[in-house]
Amino acid sequence: METILVLTHADETGSALTKASLEAVTAGKELAARLNASLAIGIVAIDATAAASALASTVARLLAVSGEPFAQPRYSTDAAALEALCRAAEASIVLAPASARFARVAAGVAHRLGGFVDTHITAIGGTDGVEATRWFYRQRVEAVLSRDGRPWFLLLDAGTHAAFAGPPAPAQVEQVAVELPALRTTVTGLRAPSQGTQTIRPDAKLLFVAGAGWTKKQSDGQVHAAEAGDLILGFLRTTGASLGSSKSLVDQGGEGQPVLPFLTHLNQIGQTGATPRHARGLSTCCHGEEPHVVGWRFIADRRAINLDPNCGWTRGKADVVYIADAFQVMAKVNSLLEAKKA
Amino acid sequence: MSVETTPADSPAPEFERQTMEVDIACAGFGPAMGGFLTTLTREWSEHPEDPAFESKVAPGMPLQVLCYERADDIAAGVSGVVTRAQGIRSSFPHLNPAEIPMAVEVKRERVLYLLDPIGASRRSLTLRAADAVLHTAGRLFGLKDHAFELPWTPAFLHKHGGLVLSIGQFNQWVGSQLMATGLVQIWPGTPVSAPIFSEATSKDDPAEEAVLGLRLADQGVDRTGAPAGGFMAGMDVRALLTVVGDGPVGAVGQAIDKRLGLPPGHAHREWALGMKMVIELPPIESDQDSTLEPGTVWHTFGYPEPEIFGFLYVHPERLVSVGIFVPSWMGDPLRTAYRYLQHYIQHPALWRYLKDGTLRSWGAKSLEESGKRGEPFLAGDGFARIGEGSGSTNMLTGSGVDEAWTTGTQLAEAVVELLRAGKPFTRKNLSATYEARRRASWVERGAREAENARNGFHGGPRGSSMVKGMIGMALAGLTGGRFSFQAHIPPPHKQIALRAPSFSRSLRKGWDTSSQTAEGLQLKQAVDLAIADGRPLHDALLTARGWPEIPFDGRLLVTQQDALLIGGKVQAIPGFADHVVFLNKQLCIACVEKTCIAMCSGQALTLGDGGVPAFEREKCVHCGACLWNCAQSPDGEHSNIDFRAGSGGLHSAEN
Amino acid sequence: MANVLHIVVCAGIVPDPLQTLEPVTGPAGPGLKNEMVLPAVLDPWAASALYEAAALAAKNPGSKLWLVSLGPKAKLQQVMMTVAQKIAFELVPIDGPIGGFPDAHSTAAVLAETIAALPGLDKAKLLLFGGWESATRGAGVTLQLVGERLGIIDQFQGVDQIDLRDDGSFEVLERVEGGKHQVSVCAGTPAVLGWATGNLAEPRNNPQTGMANMRTIMPALQKAKPTTLAPNGLRYVSVALPKQQRTTRVVKDLTPDEIAAELVEWIGAE
Repeated sequence: METILVLTHADETGSALTKASLEAVTAGKELAARLNASLAIGIVAIDATAAASALASTVARLLAVSGEPFAQPRYSTDAAALEALCRAAEASIVLAPASARFARVAAGVAHRLGGFVDTHITAIGGTDGVEATRWFYRQRVEAVLSRDGRPWFLLLDAGTHAAFAGPPAPAQVEQVAVELPALRTTVTGLRAPSQGTQTIRPDAKLLFVAGAGWTKKQSDGQVHAAEAGDLILGFLRTTGASLGSSKSLVDQGGEGQPVLPFLTHLNQIGQTGATPRHARGLSTCCHGEEPHVVGWRFIADRRAINLDPNCGWTRGKADVVYIADAFQVMAKVNSLLEAKKA
Repeated sequence: MSVETTPADSPAPEFERQTMEVDIACAGFGPAMGGFLTTLTREWSEHPEDPAFESKVAPGMPLQVLCYERADDIAAGVSGVVTRAQGIRSSFPHLNPAEIPMAVEVKRERVLYLLDPIGASRRSLTLRAADAVLHTAGRLFGLKDHAFELPWTPAFLHKHGGLVLSIGQFNQWVGSQLMATGLVQIWPGTPVSAPIFSEATSKDDPAEEAVLGLRLADQGVDRTGAPAGGFMAGMDVRALLTVVGDGPVGAVGQAIDKRLGLPPGHAHREWALGMKMVIELPPIESDQDSTLEPGTVWHTFGYPEPEIFGFLYVHPERLVSVGIFVPSWMGDPLRTAYRYLQHYIQHPALWRYLKDGTLRSWGAKSLEESGKRGEPFLAGDGFARIGEGSGSTNMLTGSGVDEAWTTGTQLAEAVVELLRAGKPFTRKNLSATYEARRRASWVERGAREAENARNGFHGGPRGSSMVKGMIGMALAGLTGGRFSFQAHIPPPHKQIALRAPSFSRSLRKGWDTSSQTAEGLQLKQAVDLAIADGRPLHDALLTARGWPEIPFDGRLLVTQQDALLIGGKVQAIPGFADHVVFLNKQLCIACVEKTCIAMCSGQALTLGDGGVPAFEREKCVHCGACLWNCAQSPDGEHSNIDFRAGSGGLHSAEN
Repeated sequence: MANVLHIVVCAGIVPDPLQTLEPVTGPAGPGLKNEMVLPAVLDPWAASALYEAAALAAKNPGSKLWLVSLGPKAKLQQVMMTVAQKIAFELVPIDGPIGGFPDAHSTAAVLAETIAALPGLDKAKLLLFGGWESATRGAGVTLQLVGERLGIIDQFQGVDQIDLRDDGSFEVLERVEGGKHQVSVCAGTPAVLGWATGNLAEPRNNPQTGMANMRTIMPALQKAKPTTLAPNGLRYVSVALPKQQRTTRVVKDLTPDEIAAELVEWIGAE
């Protein structure tokens, strides 16, 4: 008989749970129902009252670690908090969001408890037991795995489950005491990339990916990097889309070529870059080869604009491919969007 | 001391450079260098206490032997070969092919004449008539799948008992063993830009000039070679002996040839581009009438063009290497390789097996087909030449790897002899040891037999030159080289368009807007398509000539761009200068043929501004085809394209 | 004032990113077809860690840099021929299995045991570096597990920058959600830093560095301890390539204006 614990944490406001945490709650409820297992939810927040109230309708046992030391993500405090929650719940299966906060500590906590951890889980299945789906080799190989050892920590990728939502109600929360080690790390805050333009928007519905073609010579034999930059930023402004880039484009900074100044390695999609989740994706001036497309694994509806009718996107990797000059198309798209706004 | 640089728009800037002293510096790690280092380290390992293997430049230390390779990995070789492996087996008497991935013994050889099932091939009337007879008589001649198997093949073509190899895997296998000895170091990802020459001792005898070592390529430079972020001037590696094994288009070999010239009567005038795919065959189906057994070797001729020879080698685990050779004597200025290779694999005789296969790897390389006639000075003060760049390839038997390997072993034996005798690496001493060994060996005998074997391919109208060439090869092969056709071989730039003047005229008209001829108009449209849609020029041109479009399947029939990424895995790290340089831009502007673009294996050359081709370093596979596919020559012999030391290229180890 | 650091970088080897990968299942569990044949590179994020470590060591004279790498000896040797030219380090090779399918807990145990036994390592000065995720397993857990086993409770993941101060404390920038960095200040070593891309370009190949490194790398490789990794109860139910192939509509005959109109409609009212 498994005992399931879902670990959750508060967002930047300190009181509400993150969306990814609520998604893990849904996964926990589903799994508990299927396995007929007991369900507990652990909360890490400066004050867990509001979060607990939001979880009241889960009818799960609610545990919390609260207080100032847990206001901010930090390895030593978070590890101690999660360890205490897991011990209190006597959990055999621990579900948690693969957030930066929990991804930092989950492995260490699993080790402290003599358990095991698997991360970036995209699905939990199995008939009698628990089987987890995750990707290897940069989203190129998909595996389903299982473990005999317990406790087993499963960190769920964001967007794989619907976020839990239930009517808030007063809830009984068991406060779990934590023995903290001496603190040697202070979190001083968050910093946005220095370029000033925030182009990465994980919650956006649309991902816009710029490929190296934007800074290559165009049909007139000239490079139009400044114009490319204006078109891309203009599009992001009107649509609120998140900006991704191919590796070759972000790498250009080192070679003295014209580059798009607002791009950093954080924008990179695929290869050594991110694999974000968005409902739609639009690729421009990117060839659509395997290393590019691995970062698109979790983009549901994909379109591309490319001059080459035989580019990778046309071969089952995108839903629609427009054979056209992205400069011309995007200029028109921007003017249509602006007209629509006005 | 001076460093040879080829002329360019601006002279190479001089910088303060680090210097390192070693005993033996080697340029290029291929089969020849594998043979050299294997033989050297074996003798050394067997006699570790022998004072001959003590360093002269760092007394008290072991001999300092360093090898620099341009490719990012020593396994990034570009050849699937069939070889008699005479020399390789004598180095590894107990060789078990199963130890080397993709290696297998040759089991069955066939020579096929392929007819043109499409009707787009540029065949002469004679050839068309012969084809018609073959077609009509069909079964009588054993015609199957538009292919006619030669009932008998001359012994000189046989590789029976030899090996089918992936040179990438073979290099890796050899390199791992060498590195494991801890005696020598092989550094991939390190292009050598030039040899370091001593100043001439006498103007009358430039061949007396000594090579003092190797200069590594500058890093952290812009495309023109000017210092940029993170600049690091290439180091001077000074050596008592410089071993030059950087192949037929290597920067070091080229610079030595330029500085010292070639022996009288010798020239690098005959070339071919070998381009091939490694294909994983589809699973065997029960209704298939036959399968390709590992060790099967096919040689083909006749298709996709009469001048293009082809091959199919079957490796273990359902992998095959399939490729074509596009020779310089194919005078067509619009010759190309990738699109032809795609038509080649779709020939019914091959497609029967390859259909539904998957492209695993792809690559291309220039072959120095001058053989003995392109042989440079094999040794000089402080240097020796080995491998293909030393003219060792036997163009009669179509064999180069085993010869290259053997020249390396011969040099190693000579080096050990000189080390033991305490003699310096002078031209005289290297001639008496290395050159003497080579001259007395089977490599030299084969090279002499092959020297004029391919003369028949030069001269005569297209199609007939193929027949004449084949007869010439047979003559030379069957008589041990005593009989062959005589021929004058023109420089590569003159071979282009030599037999297609009318076509060149059409091309000129096509390129000009005032097009008059139908063919010119067709070509013009193709060029427009290439410019407007970014479609590869060679691709557009072949379509314009009546070749059917390729039915892309995303798996085996893929665009050249895809072949670069999924087959060749082509990459180039930033910070190196462009290694393809157009010397006289006016000649490029005036050039109508632009064969360099059509023949570029990686689509790294495209139509650029105002007539000068544009070069994209990131797509270059370092095949060197541009070097000999230039219709212009500033000096009447050499091409207008400078092919220098560069970084990057293929990242496939299956070639 | 310079701080003397003992930096240990854990970095594995992975298939060169453009290689065609195909999983196969053998008696020893899942693996990649021809994995030993594919060209390998240093794991990209771990490589960032190595370059950052080298820069940090260079700025702090007296510091030491170890590179601990687990993989088949022959492949390690091949990859080191490229890496060793870039920066000076002491290689600590562990001759073990290749690939992303072995259990991370077993890998971490071997790494931690090896690091704990490094001669001359002062744990109080230790900065344990690595990639925040590998390009094989992609789990982002091994480094944390090694840190825990070594008793280090100041850990940072997705690190893009470290600024070491004179008093030995340092500021760290970690990637968090929304394309932002979390800024933390740690009082000093020991600490674990799992690196993302960092800010440094790949160092140039320097033959002299390579020569110097090779004198220690080859003997170290020859002495590399063969290791097996226990499965730890990890079982693979299936390992496969994604099958999804979309039915792509290729639009060739619309004008840029028409395409733009279609796209605007698709983007919708967001």
